[in-house]
Amino acid sequence: MSTIYYLIQNMLPVAIPLLLVALGGMFSERSGVINIALEGIMLFGAFFGALFVYTVQGVDMNPQVLLILGMLIAAFSGWVYSLLLSFAAVTMKANQTITGVSLNMIIPAAILLFSKMFFNSDGITTTKNFYIREVPILSKIPLLGEMFFQRTYLTVMIGFAILIVSIIIFYKTRFGLRLRACGEHPQAADSVGINVYFMRYAGVSLSGILGGIGGFFYSVGVMDGNVSGHSGVAGFGFLALAVMIFGQWKPGRIFFAALFFAFLRTLAYSVSLIPFLDGLGINQTYYKMLPYVATMVVLAFTSKKSRAPKAEGIPYDKSQR
Amino acid sequence: MQGKNSTSQKNKNFLKNITRSSGFSAFSSALVAIILGLVFGFIVMLFAQPENAIKGFRYVLVGGLGRFGSVLYFATPILMTGLAVGFAFKMGLFNIGASGQYTMGMFFAIYVGFMWDLPPGIHWIVAILAGMVGGMIWGLIPGLFKALLNVNEVITSIMFNYIGMYLVDMWIQGNAVMFVSSKSRTNYLPSNVQIPSLGIDGSNVNFGIILAIIIGIVLYIVLQKTTFGYELKATGHNKYASDYAGMKGKKNIILTMVIAGGLAGLGGAFAILAPSAIAGSSMTYEPINIIAANGFNGIAVALLGNAHPIGIIFSSIFISHIQRGGSLAGLVGFKPEIIDVVIGVIIYFSAFAMIMNAALARFVKQHVTRKDEEVVKAKEAE
Amino acid sequence: MENYIVEMLGITKEFPGIIANDNITLNLKKGEVHALLGENGAGKSTLMSVLFGLYQAEKGEIRKNGQVVKINNPNDANALGIGMVHQHFKLVEIFTVLENIILGVEPNTMGFLQKNEARKKVLELSERYGLSIKPDALIEDISVGMQQRVEILKMLYRDNEILIFDEPTAVLTPQEIKELLKIMRGFASEGKSILFITHKLNEIMEVADRCTVLRKGQHIGTVDVKNTDKEELSRMMVGRDISFSVDKKPAEPKEVVLSVKNVTVASKHHKNNAVRNVTFDVKAGEIVCLAGIDGNGQTEFVSALTGLEKMVDGKVTLCGEDITKASVRERSVAGMSHIPEDRHKHGLVLDYTLQENMVLQRYWQKDFQNKGFIKFDEVRKYAENLIERFDVRSAQGPITMVRSMSGGNQQKAIIAREIDKKHELLVAVQPTRGLDVGAIEYIHKQLVERRDAGKGVLLVSLELEEVMNVSDRILVMYEGEIVGELDPKTTTVQELGLYMSGAKRNTVKEIDNAG
Repeated sequence: MSTIYYLIQNMLPVAIPLLLVALGGMFSERSGVINIALEGIMLFGAFFGALFVYTVQGVDMNPQVLLILGMLIAAFSGWVYSLLLSFAAVTMKANQTITGVSLNMIIPAAILLFSKMFFNSDGITTTKNFYIREVPILSKIPLLGEMFFQRTYLTVMIGFAILIVSIIIFYKTRFGLRLRACGEHPQAADSVGINVYFMRYAGVSLSGILGGIGGFFYSVGVMDGNVSGHSGVAGFGFLALAVMIFGQWKPGRIFFAALFFAFLRTLAYSVSLIPFLDGLGINQTYYKMLPYVATMVVLAFTSKKSRAPKAEGIPYDKSQR
Repeated sequence: MQGKNSTSQKNKNFLKNITRSSGFSAFSSALVAIILGLVFGFIVMLFAQPENAIKGFRYVLVGGLGRFGSVLYFATPILMTGLAVGFAFKMGLFNIGASGQYTMGMFFAIYVGFMWDLPPGIHWIVAILAGMVGGMIWGLIPGLFKALLNVNEVITSIMFNYIGMYLVDMWIQGNAVMFVSSKSRTNYLPSNVQIPSLGIDGSNVNFGIILAIIIGIVLYIVLQKTTFGYELKATGHNKYASDYAGMKGKKNIILTMVIAGGLAGLGGAFAILAPSAIAGSSMTYEPINIIAANGFNGIAVALLGNAHPIGIIFSSIFISHIQRGGSLAGLVGFKPEIIDVVIGVIIYFSAFAMIMNAALARFVKQHVTRKDEEVVKAKEAE
Repeated sequence: MENYIVEMLGITKEFPGIIANDNITLNLKKGEVHALLGENGAGKSTLMSVLFGLYQAEKGEIRKNGQVVKINNPNDANALGIGMVHQHFKLVEIFTVLENIILGVEPNTMGFLQKNEARKKVLELSERYGLSIKPDALIEDISVGMQQRVEILKMLYRDNEILIFDEPTAVLTPQEIKELLKIMRGFASEGKSILFITHKLNEIMEVADRCTVLRKGQHIGTVDVKNTDKEELSRMMVGRDISFSVDKKPAEPKEVVLSVKNVTVASKHHKNNAVRNVTFDVKAGEIVCLAGIDGNGQTEFVSALTGLEKMVDGKVTLCGEDITKASVRERSVAGMSHIPEDRHKHGLVLDYTLQENMVLQRYWQKDFQNKGFIKFDEVRKYAENLIERFDVRSAQGPITMVRSMSGGNQQKAIIAREIDKKHELLVAVQPTRGLDVGAIEYIHKQLVERRDAGKGVLLVSLELEEVMNVSDRILVMYEGEIVGELDPKTTTVQELGLYMSGAKRNTVKEIDNAG
């Protein structure tokens, strides 16, 4: 039983970045823009979030307040970085995949450059501890309390809140309806007076915000608050894309897909703690490959019937209706 | 009179053909992207160290000229990964997996280099071929996924970059012959496995670059002159029309990815089998769980070269040139990563430079050719 | 001075290379049905897009009730009470009917959708005008006819009083057309003003009060429909007298070229089969026409026949050879030529030159390649020959990029390629779609010429006139089945319409008896 608690407690901080970034990808792609730059956006957000923490960590402040402030900084910087994608993909009608790849390339190099120049290291190392041993009151709930409210991070609770808000925005608001129309049939949206360019900027911006937050949460929940230009976010941006596809571009399914991937990853890094797996004597590297291999298997089974937004990847050109 | 008219006609056509030709627009759009990228790099340098910025930037621009041998040496692997990306691009496939294919090729090459016992004259050749096979296998898998299961090759090849990297790192670390654990890098290869040097003073430029250029030219001929190239480009332009014309789309996807993988694998082999500065040493690999940068630089090379094999030969030399320049800029305190940023910026702009450029070409054509037409009309009026 | 609700005065709209509208004037009276007549490419849709705010004119002005107005986008048009049913429906397939109707004018409080009041209003309108719909069905699950009703309800929901219908009858059966025209008259009698874009003269005579004719971007004239006749309108439209019938001798069918037995093809969109148990023959020296409303399985059938898709069941024989499992290439070699439905999607590689496209089906043959290397000199010579024989016009001859050619010449290039290739059967799918009258006549002549040369021709067409005039035998396809075989000499458009809408069918047995 304690193994199960352990796995869940460790899985959630991993699942939340995946969930948020995949939701970001969903907003972007449902508006019609393929966002392969999520990896770079995450790293950008993580970097500025961590930089902020690094700058103010000497000040005596509640770590959870600091975390929320860092999150806001990360969200803002993720949004700024995503504007580069919107500008190229929406305004300049450039190839979205290539643009995304270039944005992914710039950031690790820029971080290494910056960190080497100013910290003489490969990234940022922070000392603030965001870990929550027990959430008051809630952690006393039998069963659930130990799973969700002990040995955790604030990121988990924020992540769940963002999921719920995302679902509401996506399905219940005028904004969500219009966004989905733009990714499916932009000509139709345009013909009823919806500004497709604006909606696509909005979709990509949401992915920037969520990507930035996801990146910061990755650095908090997975990397102990550190950011490195070398290892970056270890392909989490790409995994999030796979999560999004596996989740069929729908928020509810994306949630379960994120849990699935996070579970595999947690398992991979906890092999030594699980006697049964440890006993098999399989090289740890195989477990590390597991999420990537699982992505392939999942895509192989889902892509035949996968239903991507119809207009994704196609720049919208008003003059070519 | 008639003679004059026909020269003017010729001139007009000449201009038209130049501005219309895809080569021209690709070249000028690459130029636009490069200039913007360099300007961005200069601005970053200005911010970092204003007092040394001009000095550093001069190193970036012309520093490589004095070390052309070394430029070619480092151009070899990215020329190959550039071809790997560009060739697949002609088919409409975005082979972002060149990194994984490169790493796999490199592993196969050193495996043969260390573990097989072969006569000195052919050992390095077999090792190169092994590298090609390794890359082919790593290209084949995304090809199969795309052709048979319709899985987007971008995601697949990213995943296979990670899988390949983890596998190779594990295999190398687990092999005591290849791996020097105290230095956490691979051992020096025996000299008969190394690619023979061209003997240019002060550099280790070797036969690899010659082979790479020859391969580029062969690819050019394949694309331009053969039925396979015709099918490949037709599929890249319009998949539906290629089905309609009875081309075997699935077979061509798999074949293209295998060839692309082989090219990147050769890049890995050329890189690892190259002799290095210290006598008797060779290039080494550090298994530290990082995806090979040469694969991603191949994307930059391919885009700058407009996916055209001959263009890729030049763009790989250019990228290598500014990379050398970037290392030299270290002499005045800059970090070489600045070049990676510049390369990223160049790709970013080259993604829409074509569009800016098309507008420019339209402008030029309208103005130049209109004048010409007026001249022709005036003459006819005479 | 007449009292016009909308005046478009001196409208000029240019696109790179062409002037789509050249100083066009159109006046719409309140409560009238005003037809806008012209060939494909005459500028009708452009003019209406200007009125609807999708394009902005370079010159000219638009007045509503005498006031000059600026219409910069569909929102402006909507605010002025102008609505439009587009030729290609602007509906989001994965949305429900209701969501599509409210999109753009969603009732909401603080941004949250309030669908209930919208639903009430939609149902009310639907009942009042007899436009039956299912508000919660997804667009992808409903019929084309219902999709059109959704488009009309979109306008009514926005309380538009000026309704533009862009070629609304192209996708309907004759019976559905009658119904639609009646609804349009109903709107007019309620005081709404209708602009009706079409190139079908019968419909204009039946429903319109006045008619404005465009030709090649020019305003030719506006006439009262009751003072004119079809001949005059067609002269205005085309600029010369045109014959409605195709000049041809009676067919002399010989041996069977194509034999299709019990062919069943799966659908990509739903669980049922798109084509069910289709059986027929095509003989040498006859033109067989597969008629039907769009979306009744013709596309799927042709895909299976030409080898682009697999069939679930059945057998296809070409010139006595079983080609059921043959590849596209093998069918082509066996004697099948194919003029595809969508020339841009399937028929051409737009970024290849004309000469490269001319050998798209033959580049691999000994004539054009040697050991895998293409003989570009031969390709050039061959292309020049075809260009001359089939009068394919282009800026730079064989090295012209096909993308830069006009639609008519692109189609001519395909026809040249498919006809010059060795073939016994020509499958022509909507070969005249989107072309002007000159090109249509040319293509019909080529089809008849093929027939007279002893080839079998299978023509798939949605145009009733083409079906009646060109074919020697008509097979009607409805919901994936052949529901009737008709003789164009004895049948009428009305009867054909009954078959096309599934209201009437004769079984295979009856066909046998009749034959």
